[in-house]
Amino acid sequence: MGRRRRPAGRAAGTGTGARALPEAIAALCRTLPAGPGPETFRRAKFDLPEAAPALWRLLSCVLSPRSEADTTGSLTREAQVRLVKSAMRSQGYPRPALFQLPEDGSQGSRELLLALSWLLARGPLIEQLLARTRVRLGDEMPVCECEDLAYGRASPGLPTPSKDADGCVDVRHVQWLMGKLRFRWRSLISSHQEHCALLSKIHKYTQGCHSDRNLGHLSVAETELLRDPEGGQQDTVLGASPPDSPNAGSQPTFLPSIPERVAGELELVSRELQALQKELQEAVEVRRASWEAQVRGQGPEWSAEMRASKEAVGQELAALWQAWEREGGLAQPHRPNRLVRSEAGAPPGQGLWATEAIGALRSKEACLEAVLCWLQGQSQQELARLAGALPGVIWIPPHGR
Amino acid sequence: MLPADCSLRLVAELRAALDACGEQQRQLDQSLRVCRRLLRAWEPTRPAAPEPTPGPEPNEEDPSPACAPSLQDLTELELLTQALEKAVRVRKGISKVGEGDKAPSLKPRTVATPPATTTSVPPQAPGQAGNGTSETRSPRGIRQPKVPARSLPEHRLLSTRERTSLGRGARATRPSLGDQQVTPSVTPLVPEAFTLKEKGTLLRLPMAFWKAASQNAHLWAQIDSTQASDSANATARTRFLLKMQAASGWPGVGLSAAVVEAEVGRLRKACLRLRLRMGTELAAAPTDCVQEYRCLLLLEGLQATVGQCLHWLQELRKVVAKHHLELCPSGMPARASCLCEGGADAAWSPQPLLYSSTQELQTLAALRLRVAMLDQQLHLEKVLMDELLPLVRTQRPCCVAVCRAVHSLLCNGGQHFPTVLQDEPAD
Repeated sequence: MGRRRRPAGRAAGTGTGARALPEAIAALCRTLPAGPGPETFRRAKFDLPEAAPALWRLLSCVLSPRSEADTTGSLTREAQVRLVKSAMRSQGYPRPALFQLPEDGSQGSRELLLALSWLLARGPLIEQLLARTRVRLGDEMPVCECEDLAYGRASPGLPTPSKDADGCVDVRHVQWLMGKLRFRWRSLISSHQEHCALLSKIHKYTQGCHSDRNLGHLSVAETELLRDPEGGQQDTVLGASPPDSPNAGSQPTFLPSIPERVAGELELVSRELQALQKELQEAVEVRRASWEAQVRGQGPEWSAEMRASKEAVGQELAALWQAWEREGGLAQPHRPNRLVRSEAGAPPGQGLWATEAIGALRSKEACLEAVLCWLQGQSQQELARLAGALPGVIWIPPHGR
Repeated sequence: MLPADCSLRLVAELRAALDACGEQQRQLDQSLRVCRRLLRAWEPTRPAAPEPTPGPEPNEEDPSPACAPSLQDLTELELLTQALEKAVRVRKGISKVGEGDKAPSLKPRTVATPPATTTSVPPQAPGQAGNGTSETRSPRGIRQPKVPARSLPEHRLLSTRERTSLGRGARATRPSLGDQQVTPSVTPLVPEAFTLKEKGTLLRLPMAFWKAASQNAHLWAQIDSTQASDSANATARTRFLLKMQAASGWPGVGLSAAVVEAEVGRLRKACLRLRLRMGTELAAAPTDCVQEYRCLLLLEGLQATVGQCLHWLQELRKVVAKHHLELCPSGMPARASCLCEGGADAAWSPQPLLYSSTQELQTLAALRLRVAMLDQQLHLEKVLMDELLPLVRTQRPCCVAVCRAVHSLLCNGGQHFPTVLQDEPAD
């Protein structure tokens, strides 16, 4: 029976199988959020309909985005079914039978069990679930890119409740919203700076306190614990939920059908790459022409030089590519991290130095700025062209452009 | 005025961005409140659990919300110190007993798992046996303001904690002391408030908490290491997945929207980096022939890479088009899980992020925010271009005001406006 995953990773030998399986299932039940009992699994194996609702609830809890995991308990059965089906589809679940199950969630416990096994086999599902609810003892500063997802992408298909009957707005309203956004960013940045200063102070003042010598000082959560041992009364850091996607509390957002969205993104990337290629082409042509003019009439020793240069550049490009892969790796083995104040120059052991993270972020910043400038340049050119075509109008771009 | 669908989309996007910022700000404000509170003087908190009035303890005073000591307290303090000399001998005698007694009675108050938020095990009191014996014992049953004011932080923490633990019934050792009124302090001062700045280095984490936390960390580290070295498990999983795939009867190769999006993300990143490198090369001024040649070769190499990316993109497009049917649902939730969360290389135990100065930490935070902001700006820029440029192109007649407004939005994020002059023909 290869159907059920054994999360404990014990040997699949039949000798230990008989004992290990019930224990493993019991452990699995303890870990899973919606708390199905081992009986549910047994019933599902025989495709009994009583097990289906519990499994729908479990899967909807597991598959919903992090921020909404708490609210899935309040979804109706139909909503849970829809959520599970669409999430499984986006993950590429291969069996069509799941998508044909009735919406009322009364059948299909065996299919659901298979789906759960598939999810368990594919990725570290249990660890993800545990990590969702883990207590964060340290002060975290995520340097990972996935945090960017939290910075507010609207879902285009969402029907926004608009104030006007027809929903039309003036351009000035859009300008005003942009200004408001800029202001919010500015205050966010200054709040963060203050937060860093305070964190730094707390770390400095509690140097030498921590029982773990590697860490050396207390985090805010730990200091808070010492200040208020009866922590439930205050809003402690331990009680606060970890920073999550900002859609918490709003309706679950729905995107338009995947082909449109994916096609749109592919289109964007394609345009960017093509534009880049054109620029490179122009640059290369110019340079090659000028260089060939220079090189005319060079002797045979020059061809040796050329070969050496070719090799060197080839190696440089390969190294560059590798460095990029590795740089992506800075964020790639995504781990939570914990801020630790320590003397510069001390051996880091297992840790990550802030200076490295800063370097990586700087290069990312440069990339993004370059692209933004380019996009703005494109728009500016087009608008200048359009406005310039108007008779009797002089178009003066703002200072600096 | 903008048309309805365009307006809807723009407003939706901007509102989402505003909400995200707002949410971040709220969480940050909360953290700031917590930090500021920690850095102020730690006033002794009123114990939360209602303490049962002690029967056999006539000297027990109800815990008051301690603030500045009142006049009455000060006089009482003086009285207590007068009794000090008499009590010294007694104290010395009982101190050994009290020490051994106290530890076991309070130790059982351990927390089982890290998520438990309260603990009342005192920090390592024995370590302070030398000068603090009396102080560690004395706060029991004595009102907060009268706590003698050598006020080592453990002392203060102990007093809070001991009161709560007492409130929970660990009173067994109290009677053994007998002498409730003993204040060992020689100098009755107004109790100093505890500040992190002055005395922070004296804090110690409770033993039970520390044990639980390190066990937790150890377990997560175990998960990391088993994940890394678990090949038998991996093959069993792959076999299972292949069996599922084969039994499904679908021709698809397990293509999922998530995979396609990941690829698109990779391509976008590659494009960014290529562009950056190109910029560096173009900006560099080659000094001699050889350098110029190398520059040229590098640019050609970049061009070839871009060509490869485009080719890969084409392939991806073909695959998406072919599996169009399979990817067409009625409505989908936004990303089911963070792209990073599910990576096979994900590690779970936190790693230290080391910084050496406030400046560095602030730079890191500022850069992180800047990158996020730029990312958002890019996204908004693309949305604006998508929505507004077609409007401008197709409007008949071409309205200058609209051009001007759109220009400001697209090219400066709404900060600056181009100047438009009307060129009147001179009569």
